[in-house]
Amino acid sequence: MLLLDRNFDVSLTVASAAALSVDETRRAEQFLFQEAQYLDDRELDAWLALWDEDGRYWVPRFDNQANPFEQISLFWEDKMLREVRVKRLMNPRNWSQQPLTRCSHVIGNVVVKGRDAAGHLIVRSSVLYTEWRGEQRHLAGTVHHKLVNDGEGGWRIRLKRVDLINCDSVFGSLEVFI
Amino acid sequence: MTISNETLAQLIRPDSVNKRVYTDPDIFDLEMARIYGKAWVYVGHESQVPKSGDYHTTRLGDQDVIMVRGTDGAVHVVYNRCPHKGAQLLAEGDGNTGKFFRCPYHAWTFKLDGKSLAIPMKNGMAGTCYDPTHPNFSMRKVARVDSYRGFVFASQSVQGPDLHEFLGGVASSIDNMCDRSPVGEIEVAGGVFRVMQPSNWKVFYENLHDTMHARVTHESSFQAARDEAKSLGEMPFELLIMDGNGEPYEFWEKLELRAYDNGHGYMEGIFDPAAATRDPVSRAHFEALSSVHGDERAREILGVNRHNTIIYGSGSPHTVFQQFRVIRPIAVNRTMVEIQTFRLKGAPEGVFERALTYANVINSPSSNVMPDDIELYKRCQEGNQTDGGEWVSQHRYAGTDQALPDGMVSTNGTSELPMRNQFKAWREYMLGAASTESVCMQGEGRAVA
Repeated sequence: MLLLDRNFDVSLTVASAAALSVDETRRAEQFLFQEAQYLDDRELDAWLALWDEDGRYWVPRFDNQANPFEQISLFWEDKMLREVRVKRLMNPRNWSQQPLTRCSHVIGNVVVKGRDAAGHLIVRSSVLYTEWRGEQRHLAGTVHHKLVNDGEGGWRIRLKRVDLINCDSVFGSLEVFI
Repeated sequence: MTISNETLAQLIRPDSVNKRVYTDPDIFDLEMARIYGKAWVYVGHESQVPKSGDYHTTRLGDQDVIMVRGTDGAVHVVYNRCPHKGAQLLAEGDGNTGKFFRCPYHAWTFKLDGKSLAIPMKNGMAGTCYDPTHPNFSMRKVARVDSYRGFVFASQSVQGPDLHEFLGGVASSIDNMCDRSPVGEIEVAGGVFRVMQPSNWKVFYENLHDTMHARVTHESSFQAARDEAKSLGEMPFELLIMDGNGEPYEFWEKLELRAYDNGHGYMEGIFDPAAATRDPVSRAHFEALSSVHGDERAREILGVNRHNTIIYGSGSPHTVFQQFRVIRPIAVNRTMVEIQTFRLKGAPEGVFERALTYANVINSPSSNVMPDDIELYKRCQEGNQTDGGEWVSQHRYAGTDQALPDGMVSTNGTSELPMRNQFKAWREYMLGAASTESVCMQGEGRAVA
C-alpha cells in the first residue's frame, strides 16, 4: 500500500550544496514555470510525463507536517493515483467538471536550496493559485520540488510538496492538481 | 415567518417530501430548534480531549460549543460564550485551556465545568445583583451529556430518551467499530478533514444509503479506477475502494438496508477489504483479534461488514475503515462535514494506515469520488429553487419494507427506505411523536407530465 512505503524520503533537509551555474539555475526556474503551464493549459499527459516513476505529489493537511504516513494529507499521490485523477478529469461523465476547473498559477521566489541525501535538487518557490469553477477561489503557499536528473540534461519530479497557507481550513472539493 | 404545524405536516408524505424542506431558511431555523435542539448529537470522541483542560470546539446545530476534559476526568460540554459580554471564550480549534477558562476580554474565569471561578476587581460588583452562584454568571452547560464507548453525545433538551434508548439498534455499529480493536478501544488519530458542501444537510444523509446513485453519479471515478487497475494488472486497495461504486444494479439489489427509530440505520458492506490484490493487513488484524478472543469471535467481529452507518443528526460512521463523517448543518444551503479517522488500539499499525488511506482517497477534499456527490447535492439544491415542481420522490420500493421489532429492513437493496425512515424521524421531531401521518397521495407525489 502506498502509505506503507515509509522509505520514501519526504524530508526537505539539505545534505549538500547544489552548486548550479546561473544557466542551470535559470533552467530549474523554467522547469517549474513549464510544469505550472501544463496545469494551467490542462495538458495533463504532458504534466504526468514530468514525473519520476516513483515520484510523489503531496499537499499536507497540517502546518509543518512531518510526513504523510501518520497523518491525513490533502493530497498524497503516487503515479497510480495521479493517473487516476487525470483519467477522471478526462472522463466525459465527470459531473463535477461541468463546467471544468480553470486555473492560473503564478510561480515566484524560486530558490535552489541544495541537494538532499540522495542528491535530488531541492527547489523552493511560492505559488499564487487562482481557480474558477462557477466561483473563484484563491490558494497560496510554499512549494518544494525535489528534482532528479533525467540523464538528458533535464529533470523529473521526485517530490512536489505544496504547503498551503490555509491547509487546516474547511475546503470545498479540490479536484485538480495545485 | 412562523410556519404552522399544519403547514409542516403537509410537507411530508410517506413516499415523498416537499422541496421546501431543503430550501426554506425558516424551516432550517425550526430544525435547529426542534431537531438539533432536542436530539442527542455527537460532539466528539473522548480521545480528542485525553488530559484535564484539553478542549475541542465544534457545533451542535447552530450552537458553538466546547467539549472539555474536567479536572475530575469527566467530559463537559459547554456553550462557547462568556456570560459577561457574550464573547467566545475559545477560538475555534483544539488545545488545552489549563485549569480553568479565562475570557480574553475582561479576564472573567470559569472552572472547566463552566461554573464561575473569579472576576477581577470584584468589589465593583458590591451592592449589585451580581451573584457568582447564579447560573447567569457561569458558562452554560449543554443540558445533557453522555458517552457511549468513548463517543460523546449531547442533548440541548432536558427531556427526551436517554442516549442508549436514542441510539437503539444503531449502537451495534459503534460497538463493532470498537470491537475491531483487540482491547475494545479506539481513538481519533491522524487529523480531521473539514469539507464544505453547498447544499442542505438532509441531502447528504439521504445519499449515504442511496444505492441507485452509485454507478451513475460516480461513473468517472470507478471507470478511472478500473482503467488504471487494468493497466496495472492488479486491483490495489486504493483502487478497490473507488471501483465498488461501479457494481451493477443486481449487486445493489441484494444488499440489506436496515432502518431504526430516530432516523438511524446502516447499509450492508459493499467490499471486502481482503479482496484487494495487495492487502497484507486483514490477516494480521484477524490474528490480533483471535489471539485475544479466539478464532470464532474474531470471525464474528470482522464478519460484521457494514458500509455507511447513519446516526441521524450526528453523521455517518464507517466501521470497517474506521471513519466518522460528522455532519454539521451551517445554513439551509451549507453543510460542513468533519471527517474523523480512528486508530484501533492494539491492532496492527497497518489497520490504521489503511484507515488513513481510505480517508485520503475517499473522504478528503481531494477525493476523486466525493466531488461528484457534492456536485449533485448542489444541483438538487439549485434545482429545488426553481418552480419546476414541488415534490421530491422517495417511492422506490415504498410499501414493501418489512417491520422488525426494532425498526425496518428493506426487501430490496435499492429501496428508498432509509430516506423514508429519516423523514419519519424528521416529522416526529418537528411535529411531536404523536403526530399522525398524512395520507399518501398516489399520483400527485409522482411526476405528472
